[in-house]
Amino acid sequence: MTSIVPLIAALVLSVPCIYWTQGPSTRATLEAAGLKALCVPADQAESWRAAGVQVTAVSEAELAAREALPTPGVTVRAGVASPTRAPWIVANGWRMTRRTAVKYAYTPAPGAGALAAAEAYAYGADAIIRIDPADVNAVAGMLTFLQGLASADLPAVADFGIVDDGSAVTGEVMNLLSRRNLLYKIVPSPSPQFPLNVVIGSREYPAQEAADPSAFALRVRRDLTDDRRSLRIYGSEVVIGRLTGSGGRARLHLINYGGREIQGLRIRVRGAFPTGDALVSGVGHVSLDDRSVAEGATEFSLARLTTYAVIDLR
Amino acid sequence: MHRRAFVRLLAAAPFVAPTPLVELRRGLAQATQPAVRTDLPTLRAVTRYAPAAAPGMPGPYPGRVVSVGSEKSVDIATGTANGDVVREMMARGMRKLTGAQTTADAWRRFFQPADVVGLKVNCGGYPYVISAYEIVTETVQRLLDIGIPASQIFVYERFQNQLDECNYTPHLPEGVRIVAAERANRNVDNSGYDPATYLEANFFGEEDTRSNMMRLVSQRLTKIINIPNMKDHGATGATGCLKNIAYGSFSNVARTHQRGKSHTYSMVGSLAAMEPLRSRTVLQIMDGLRGVWHGGPFARTTRYVFYPRQILFGTDPVAIDRLLLDIIEKERLAHGARSIWDRSPESLRMDDARARDADPNVNIIIREPGHVEYASTLGLGVADRARITVEDETV
Repeated sequence: MTSIVPLIAALVLSVPCIYWTQGPSTRATLEAAGLKALCVPADQAESWRAAGVQVTAVSEAELAAREALPTPGVTVRAGVASPTRAPWIVANGWRMTRRTAVKYAYTPAPGAGALAAAEAYAYGADAIIRIDPADVNAVAGMLTFLQGLASADLPAVADFGIVDDGSAVTGEVMNLLSRRNLLYKIVPSPSPQFPLNVVIGSREYPAQEAADPSAFALRVRRDLTDDRRSLRIYGSEVVIGRLTGSGGRARLHLINYGGREIQGLRIRVRGAFPTGDALVSGVGHVSLDDRSVAEGATEFSLARLTTYAVIDLR
Repeated sequence: MHRRAFVRLLAAAPFVAPTPLVELRRGLAQATQPAVRTDLPTLRAVTRYAPAAAPGMPGPYPGRVVSVGSEKSVDIATGTANGDVVREMMARGMRKLTGAQTTADAWRRFFQPADVVGLKVNCGGYPYVISAYEIVTETVQRLLDIGIPASQIFVYERFQNQLDECNYTPHLPEGVRIVAAERANRNVDNSGYDPATYLEANFFGEEDTRSNMMRLVSQRLTKIINIPNMKDHGATGATGCLKNIAYGSFSNVARTHQRGKSHTYSMVGSLAAMEPLRSRTVLQIMDGLRGVWHGGPFARTTRYVFYPRQILFGTDPVAIDRLLLDIIEKERLAHGARSIWDRSPESLRMDDARARDADPNVNIIIREPGHVEYASTLGLGVADRARITVEDETV
């Protein structure tokens, strides 16, 4: 980026920046949608500023230097996945967890802009999203929602460690672990902090097993056991959670990759959290229904989940 | 009620933290049931409901089935049922089952005016083989006759879109409620299920390991009448009383069978045995006016439809389903199709429903007709054919 005002810098760190290639003549459309800050091509920056719009200039080279991310969502994989039982999810959280310092760029397919924004925010990624113009209202709504969230600087919760050798195989394993809501922390070497450490290529986890990352993730799940998992999600196979927390507080990000609203999603979080509050994108406050705290875990149902929700537990 | 009105019962009762009353660990059960397979997944039932003193299944008539047949019940040329004949079949069946002198007295053996009664119908075989309008209507009418208000009668299925297709509304008196748990089979609609009453199992590594009971069943109904059809089923061999009441009252059950493998062997009976479903399901009326001998549970064409033209009555779902296995098997063999007990891999075309529909010798999953016998080991009824009494009646 060539010029970043402090306000924009803060936004880029917390909320992804929307890359808009149409000129200032579209200002009214953006204002109507509620988009107040943009990333624009460098050669358009001055004209946008002259029009009174707060923008960050991004050159093609800067955009190209960012790691390109695939469109998040559910895709069809004939013979491999089925839409309801075992959907094929494209999610990028594992990449953001793996390389926190990397800057990312999305060019999501039409309809996926808001999901991309939620995903980037949930994982704290520095991301630019080049949206389809038809998505402007949905994306602007998501950004407004994200900007309205209270900050919660809590560390990620992890149930086991994984040693990252930087290989593509390990990356795909992380992808499948994330997709199955198995919460891991990347560690430089096996950590006594965890009862389980995954080192691909070790005697316990031979490299050849990782050639099938889905089966490998299931193996890790079996070794960990469901009882020791900090997060369980029932009622959907297309929701990925990111759990953060410490000191009796927790924040759970729920990202719905399925494209359809989900009702009555059941969540189980390890630990006792007597109170909680949910904010759901496009909806607002949603009650946590049928709550129970038993056997060392808190359970509740979320009446509605659109694309994204943030649940604070205390 | 408009037929497209989607009704669910939400939070009808205050939430109570689930208490695992029953743990079904099949490896342990194996010690006393040597005939039962050992390669079964661990199932964990969580419910706060205790069984009734005399659970509805197997009820007062274990091992006893009344079969009422009539060649006049269905015109095979058109598939049309004769309402008057069906009414007579129903009356005779209920009287014979109970020994009551009058039809009303027969129904009073099971139901009181204060009961809230659910009719578990089956819409999966639309348009040719669903719970017959004539049987459903007659059942509702007899409940009304003994003083149960229409507002306390629920016709239910899991999916609203299936109920919409079947459209029972024009056939039912005003006030009878038609209720589903989900709009459609899309796995996005869980609020119609009870989060505290579920069976937990991990079959294929799925993330959602719970199958939750419908809130309607756990929180509203006091009695249930099960009205299944006589159908072949690619994963269970046949689908009758047990599968209709089990897989039709719980969420997330399709996960049990995929890629050639079926875990229905233990899951069907285990779900049916869960409280309060087991205690509240007091009457089984198997609609055998029409049937499906292959491609079930669906019947999108008449190619595999047949006409047993009978209705089976009882309280023992296992005994009725044991008879059903023979009925489906006999019909399949008559058409030169593979046995429902066939486990040969050469017949298997995994997940290829199109091939299965085109060829009755193709299976997409290894069937598990043994689920009926397994259910007997859970105390749901009698599977030993030699111990099942069938009383025939002809109209």
